[in-house]
Parts: sequence; C-alpha cells; structure tokens
Amino acid sequence: MKGVLKLTLGVMTAVGGFVDIGDLVTTSLTGARFGMTLAWAVVLATAMMVLYGEMAGRVTAVSKRAMFDVVRERLGVRFAMINLASNALLSLLTLAAEIGGVALVLQLVSGIHYLIWVPVVGLLVWLVIWRLPFQALETVFGLLGLCLLVFAVALVLLPADWGALWHDMTHPSVPDGEATPTWLFYAISLIGACLVPYQVIFFSSGGREENWSVRDMKEARINTLVGFPLGMVLSLSIMAAMVPMLRPDSVDVRHLGQVALPVAQVLGVTGLIFAFLGFFACVFAAATESALSVGYSVAQYFGWTWGKRHRPADAPRFHVVCLASVIAATGFILTTVDPITVTIVTVVLGAAAIPLTYLPLLVVANDREYMGKYVNKRWQNALATTALLVMLVVSVATLPLMFATKAGQ
Amino acid sequence: MREDIVTANDMLLDRQIFDRDGVEVGKVDDIEVTFPDDGGPPVLSALLCGPTALGPRLGGRLGTWWTAIGRRLRPGDEPYPNRIPAELITKFDRHEVRLSASARELPTNRLRDWTREHIVSRIPGSGR
Repeated sequence: MKGVLKLTLGVMTAVGGFVDIGDLVTTSLTGARFGMTLAWAVVLATAMMVLYGEMAGRVTAVSKRAMFDVVRERLGVRFAMINLASNALLSLLTLAAEIGGVALVLQLVSGIHYLIWVPVVGLLVWLVIWRLPFQALETVFGLLGLCLLVFAVALVLLPADWGALWHDMTHPSVPDGEATPTWLFYAISLIGACLVPYQVIFFSSGGREENWSVRDMKEARINTLVGFPLGMVLSLSIMAAMVPMLRPDSVDVRHLGQVALPVAQVLGVTGLIFAFLGFFACVFAAATESALSVGYSVAQYFGWTWGKRHRPADAPRFHVVCLASVIAATGFILTTVDPITVTIVTVVLGAAAIPLTYLPLLVVANDREYMGKYVNKRWQNALATTALLVMLVVSVATLPLMFATKAGQ
Repeated sequence: MREDIVTANDMLLDRQIFDRDGVEVGKVDDIEVTFPDDGGPPVLSALLCGPTALGPRLGGRLGTWWTAIGRRLRPGDEPYPNRIPAELITKFDRHEVRLSASARELPTNRLRDWTREHIVSRIPGSGR
C-alpha cells in the first residue's frame, strides 16, 4: 500500500511538471487555430520526454548524482558554465511566465488586476520553497493538478465530431488558409512547451531529494512511463476541447479565460472551479519547480549544499539563489510585460536550447564507469539518438522559423 | 597502463568534496603541485577551491572576469585560492573526495557563512 502511495506521488509530480503555463497557452492556441493537426507534436515530445526522463531517473538512482554535478564532471567546466548560464536564464524566464500565469488565473477568479497578484504569488512561491517539505509539494500540487481532467470530461460531453478529430490526429496536414512555416512554427512551440529543460534538472534533483537508489529505479521508471503520458492526455484534451468550441470563428487564444470556455459551456460553474483549480495548481507547481531548478543547478555546479531536505540554515547559498530568482522573476513581470508573450518567447527559446540539457544526459547514461550494468541498452541509444537528432533539427529551425513567420502570426 | 595510475582529469578535477560528516565543501576547482626542496618528484600538496581557482580554468574573457570578481571578494585581495591541504584527504575516487576535517574548519566556508549570517538566518524559519 505504501508502495502504491509512493508511486502515485511520483506520477503526480510528472503531471504537475508537464502541464504548465507554456503548455496551456500553446496547446490551446494550436487547438483553436489548427485543430488536432498538430497533436503529433505533443505525442512526439512526450515520447522523447519519457525516454529522457527515464534516463534522468536511472542516472540519478545509480550514480546518486544530480544533473549538474554530472554535467560539470563529464563535460568540463567551460561547457558546463555556458550550459548553466543558459539554463538558469531560461528557468528564470519560465519562472516569470509561471508567476504571471498564476496571477492571471487569480485575476480571472477574483476580478482583481493581475499585477496586484504578482507580488503575492511571488511571495507564496518563495514561502513554499522555504517551508513546505518536498513530499508535500508533490502531493498537494500533483493531486490538485489532476483537476484538469475536467477538460477530458468536457470533451466527452461536447458535441464533438470524433471521427474528424481522430482523422486530423492521424493524418497531420496543414489546414487550408495556413502557411506551412506557421504550422511548423507551432509544432516546434509545442515540442518546446513539452520538453522544458528545467524538468530534467528538477526530476533528477528531486530523485536526490527523495534519496533514490538502485532499488527505487522501478518506481522512477513507472513515474516517467505513467506520469508524462498522463500529462500528454491532459494537454491533448485541452487541445481538443478548444477545437469544437472555437474553431469556426478561429478565436486567437490570448487570454486564459478563453481556455476555460469549453468547460464553462458544458459543465457550468462546477467545471470552471475545477478548471481554475487545475490551472492554478499546475502553473504554481511549475513556478516552484523552475525556481528550485535555478537553485539546484547553480548549487550543483559549484558544489554547495542544496535541497529542501536540509534546513535553510544548512544550505544558505542554495536558498539565497532561489530567493534571488523569485525576486528577479517577480520584478520582471511587474514591469508590466505581457505574461503570455513572455510565455511564448520562453517556449520558443526553450525549444532552441533543448539539446543543451538532453545531450549531456545521453552521454552520462552511456558512461559505464558511472552506470555499471545500468548503462543504456542498444535500443535505448538508437531511440535516444534519433530523438536527439529531432531535437537538433528543432533547435536549429526554431529561430529562423520564428523570424520568417513573425512568431506565428 | 598501470591500474593504480590516475589522471587528474579522470579522478580529481571537478569532483565534489565532502567533509567528514558528509557536508558539501565545494568542487575541486584546481590542484596544487609542489616540488619538494630536496629535489624529489613533485607531489600533490593541496586541492584548490573558489573563483580564483576556477576562473583560469574557464578561460577567455569569462574566466578573467570570474577571477577578478573572485579576487575582490577575497579578504585582502589575496589572489591565491583557498587551499585544502592534501593531508586532509581520506579518500578519493571517480565520484567524490572525502576529507578528515569538518567543513567549519576550512577556508572554503566564507560565502556559506556570510549568506547564512546576513541573509538566511534573518528570515524566520531558517532553522526549523
């Protein structure tokens, strides 16, 4: 029984880490504009996430080292430093986007302007990092995040043309009236929204926080095999729910409230409560995860004591970095930049930076002296290398596509 | 190659250093090798830690800046990095270095102590 509970906790972490503001915005944008013709991008990204998530869990369990410890040891100080700087910057941007996202959700619920909520959210994020034990963080936000299943329910109740949805999913093609580069740009955004660098850092550091060892490897594996696909189901149902509602007049989803429209239509206020609770939990969890990831990666690079398993007084530098990140991100959102724009920019830049985190992981998972008999199997390497090639193509194509399509307009 | 020969890169550089209680001390940013006065072969005399040791290894302008900033933060503008004498090493392998001293007695603890004293311990709940 205890084992089952432990397992569900892990699964929920994955769900909370997968669906965040970037994912909510991009999946609903694409659902409303392109129908299900881009669902393949989410499926592809999830498959890659499962593959690399499993590797991250295995490396952490076997070597008892978190991501950036290993990156610096294996790939040298200079490469690791560049890697650290770009990852920290991306995580900071993500953190800013998530804080803005939570504030937007609170604005929808309360009617009070989101900028008033921003400092409150920043404070809450920091309080959670400061006080809430790691396991509690996982459980509370993981469970609440499952409220988003309300989108799947709404989807079933909506007068959807299932045949057409399925046909779009299995026969991806550029819809009429849309240019191919734009369509591809959104495919890349979806991949960037799913494969966020902070997830691997957070997942491996979280494994250390829970003191994973070889015995927990099965648990880690099931976490990735169940958790990430569950996140995919949530994403796809949000995407699909946007199709029947908004497709005819092709509304541009620039507002979180519109994402909840389909749920409101079929399930009324109760549905809305669930949807907003789910939004809040997922985005808030992602905010704490990205803030923690900055602290994790910096502390691991420099060899400081890190983690929520220590008292803050015993890991002071780690907590100072986390606090500084929250302050910086909150300050950035308070400059009145549009949180949705920040989100989209972060997702696109993230897509360009994917190989930075995933390549070192692949290298380490093949290091026999670290991994012993737990090195990658040949089929895993074949899949992982293919995935890495896809990531490289995505990474190279991102910025040209963004400029060519004026960020998908 | 003999089994008991290791290169610095294989076994020492960038490894995590732990004190005798398993508390993180830092990373092996560089190593110090001394030529004995009696003319014997050079010996590993200390592990070096901190920005002034890491900076030169980063190289380029980034490394120069890193070293310069590290130097400003050192007491008395001392350019030489923190030393962890080799006598304190009880064990090292591919994954980590263990010391016989406590982190509190080592010179690498200044930033840790400063952040604890001036920031973290002033916030309620830091010692829970």
